[in-house]
Amino acid sequence: MRGVDPELADKIDHIALANGRFLQTADTNAILISNNLAQQTGLGVGDSLDLPAASGLVTFAIVGVTTGRPPQSSEELFMPLAAAQALYNLPGQINTIEARFAADSDGETVRQAVLDKLGSGFKLGGATAGSEFASALEAANYIYNMFGIIAIILGGFIIFITFRTIVVERRRDIGMLRAIGASRKTILGMLLTESLVLGVMGTGLGILAGYAMAAGLLIGMRGLIEDLMRTNIGGPSFAPWVFALSIGMGIGITLLAGLAPALAAMRVSPLEALRPSLAEVERRSASRSAIVGVVLIVIAFITLVTGSVSIASFGILLFLTGLVLIGPALVYPIARIFGRLLSLIFAREGQIAQGNLTRQPGRAAITASAITIGLSLLVALGGLLTTLVGGMGGWIDKTLGSDYLFMPQSLILGGGNIGAGPQLLAEIDAIPGVETTTTLRQATTRIDGADVQLVGIDPVTYPQVAGLIFSAGDEETVYEEMENGRLIIVNGIFAAQNRLAVGDTLTLQTPDGTQDYKVAAVAGDFLNFKLATGYISQANLAQDFHETTDLLIMVDQAAGADETAVQASLQALAPDYPAFTFYSLTEWQVEMEKTMSALNGMYVLLIILAIPSLIALINTLAINVLERTREIGTLRAVGATRRQVKRMITAESLLLAATGTLFGLLSGLWLSYILVGAMNLIGLVFPFSFSYAGAIVAIVVGLGFGILGALIPARQATKLDIVQALAYE
Amino acid sequence: MSIVKTEQLTKVYGKGATAVTALNQLNLNIQPGEFVAVMGPSGCGKSTLLHLVGGLDQPTSGRVLLDGQDMSNLSDDARAELRRRSVGLVFQFFNLIPVLDAVENAALPLVLDGVRQSEAQQKAKDWLTRVGLSDRFSHRPDQLSGGQQQRVALARALVAEPALILADEPTGNLDSRSADEIALLLRQISSEWNRTVLMVTHDPRIAAHASRIVFLKDGTIVDETRLSDGGVSGRNNGQEQLVRAKLEVAS
Repeated sequence: MRGVDPELADKIDHIALANGRFLQTADTNAILISNNLAQQTGLGVGDSLDLPAASGLVTFAIVGVTTGRPPQSSEELFMPLAAAQALYNLPGQINTIEARFAADSDGETVRQAVLDKLGSGFKLGGATAGSEFASALEAANYIYNMFGIIAIILGGFIIFITFRTIVVERRRDIGMLRAIGASRKTILGMLLTESLVLGVMGTGLGILAGYAMAAGLLIGMRGLIEDLMRTNIGGPSFAPWVFALSIGMGIGITLLAGLAPALAAMRVSPLEALRPSLAEVERRSASRSAIVGVVLIVIAFITLVTGSVSIASFGILLFLTGLVLIGPALVYPIARIFGRLLSLIFAREGQIAQGNLTRQPGRAAITASAITIGLSLLVALGGLLTTLVGGMGGWIDKTLGSDYLFMPQSLILGGGNIGAGPQLLAEIDAIPGVETTTTLRQATTRIDGADVQLVGIDPVTYPQVAGLIFSAGDEETVYEEMENGRLIIVNGIFAAQNRLAVGDTLTLQTPDGTQDYKVAAVAGDFLNFKLATGYISQANLAQDFHETTDLLIMVDQAAGADETAVQASLQALAPDYPAFTFYSLTEWQVEMEKTMSALNGMYVLLIILAIPSLIALINTLAINVLERTREIGTLRAVGATRRQVKRMITAESLLLAATGTLFGLLSGLWLSYILVGAMNLIGLVFPFSFSYAGAIVAIVVGLGFGILGALIPARQATKLDIVQALAYE
Repeated sequence: MSIVKTEQLTKVYGKGATAVTALNQLNLNIQPGEFVAVMGPSGCGKSTLLHLVGGLDQPTSGRVLLDGQDMSNLSDDARAELRRRSVGLVFQFFNLIPVLDAVENAALPLVLDGVRQSEAQQKAKDWLTRVGLSDRFSHRPDQLSGGQQQRVALARALVAEPALILADEPTGNLDSRSADEIALLLRQISSEWNRTVLMVTHDPRIAAHASRIVFLKDGTIVDETRLSDGGVSGRNNGQEQLVRAKLEVAS
């Protein structure tokens, strides 16, 4: 909506007309619409258009249709300046001055001269997109990065396990090579080259698949984005560093994961590989690595106390590593406990299955770890979701806790909403049965060059009807103090970004220069929790920012009032203010729950993310079967049926899965605690709440994977030819 | 009635030009309580014979009658049951389950058969005691010597009280002293505990403990000899010389 001076506007920036005429000085409620809007609505010159205004609906006459101007994504409407000022209830206010420099002047000099004259409260040049979004994006980015790190760890694990398979399968070949004179270095080089080749291939395919997926997503979103934003989006574009990073990571992780198996292969002695492989019981003591693991976990815990998000993220890495290290020491007791349970179901086979795991706790721990990492993602995100949903529910109850709400269908962040003038509130207050009302107002200010949203509250009525959620400052006294003097309450994100504490002084840009505000508390409300927001009194907002329209009205009815009558009277006001939607609290909560239940779709995504763990489990069990070919042959020879062998493998897989699930629950809990802690650090303050749903999904998925993972290896084991298996070396 | 009877037993590995006939229309009768040693050069089909009798493998043609029952008609599960209950197998490399201790290994056929753990373990302990391992109950295979491991394997073969023990080169991986001890045990199994023993070996010294020796070549029986009871006391040099001579002729 652009209010312009009909005399001057066209001279500064010519507005091309498709038909009709331009605005004239004598026009009052005349308007120009774009041909785009004209096409969509069927409106044209001579028609009228009702627009929401601070004082209710205002009717405009369409006098012309513009050709529309790229690259603006939203419709531009032109009307006389006075009409726009009335619409927004901003009499005498302007927020943009357009100027045309003389042809022979130096742009930069003039620019500087203008800025010097205006002072720091103004900016020169094109409007910049709201930096308020930056913090919300930052939080999202942080969480994406976190999942990226975990995905890479998981990938590394699977590669590691796969390379172990390769080395185990080729033990004899490697022994032969050593026997005919290959040096240890040659063996190491051979396997590392192999992992390099695989890494290059995998990275190449990964980049292609990633590009294709991004392109597919963009094609899928194209229609939506064109509809919503009137913008054409092209194909995906990646910064060169993204390619560099993925190539580095892809090849680096593959090489790293291949290193340990390659070193193990290097140690294969020619003799060892030539004699029949008699299964050895893993003898290496697990205690030393367990101690290192405990130390790492303790350090990981300390990182959380440091208060730095990046250090806490590093802590997750330490925690997972620690878990892998203490894994072998924990496998034995855990296998004993679960083994006892399992022997109830698998009376005849459980014992052998349990023995197979405790015999090689290192390998069992690694497989279990693969499941652990996949499941910890599930539990962590589950925890995050429950915390968010639960926390938001709490926030809604407290900060929007009125019986009825008038609010815009969508709040346009950073300004641009049509608020309501004093008439609406007066009409609401006049309804019998309405006890208290309070309103929120909005303005934008700048601090150190960044846009910050200001919300105006009424210090008297706001705490009666609703209230902010405090993390610092005194809730009892702060509202009263706000009535006298320039006090500001900042929300968590705002405080975290600017490292603010109670008692600091903030210098805010106002249309009339700067004003100092004292930080009285750190607190926030639901609507603005993801935006850097400051709360000041409505009196100060009017005085310093000239903003007096109400953007959101909360209504409490009197005890004993006729609910239906109150609701009907309120609803009757709504049509006059089309910018507002009327909700009762329950309607609004239902609306919010719908929005938040969409988050549950994330679980599906997570289950997909957990699939690599399934592959790792199948892989390990398959090696296990391969290594134990002779044993399985023996079992069959002494009278085990195919079904019994299958049940043994399944029991083993279930044991592994149960162990991995237990670890996964623990580390997922930790992870979600860290994620919630990290959110707190960036100012999204929610109390941590345990995700029962996430835990249950994780247990079901974990044990389900146990059964699924056993299918292929069990089949492989039952198909063994007994005579050949007995002779297998 | 014979406890083991093979009729025209034939086993061919592979197909077409690469086909190898391991057993060629072999007929063999073993009476209950006999201790039969099968000897012959590598590839003569002696292990194949043992595998077919034990139901580990299926013949190409002909049949095996175990205690009068035709094994070729049995399902895979039925043959597994037969191996659990009616046959005890002993292998060259002992083939114990490394994660289980001596008692658990010996009890395995009973556990697989669904016998209660406590009962199975008691029987396993009994048999381990009989083969002289009463002080090694809770040792795992990697904590036992080769001879001790083979005794555990014998206890495992005997625990279900089968009528037939099949031993495939049971001393092939043992030093000569342990080998003698195992041979004596096998002889004891047959003479004192009245089990039928069918043993494959290439060692004349061990074969000399048997009551009958069957010489195999190219999948058929080429010679057969009955030995007089050499006495439980130990090996009999004269008989061993006889076996060696026979073996020379046979191959």
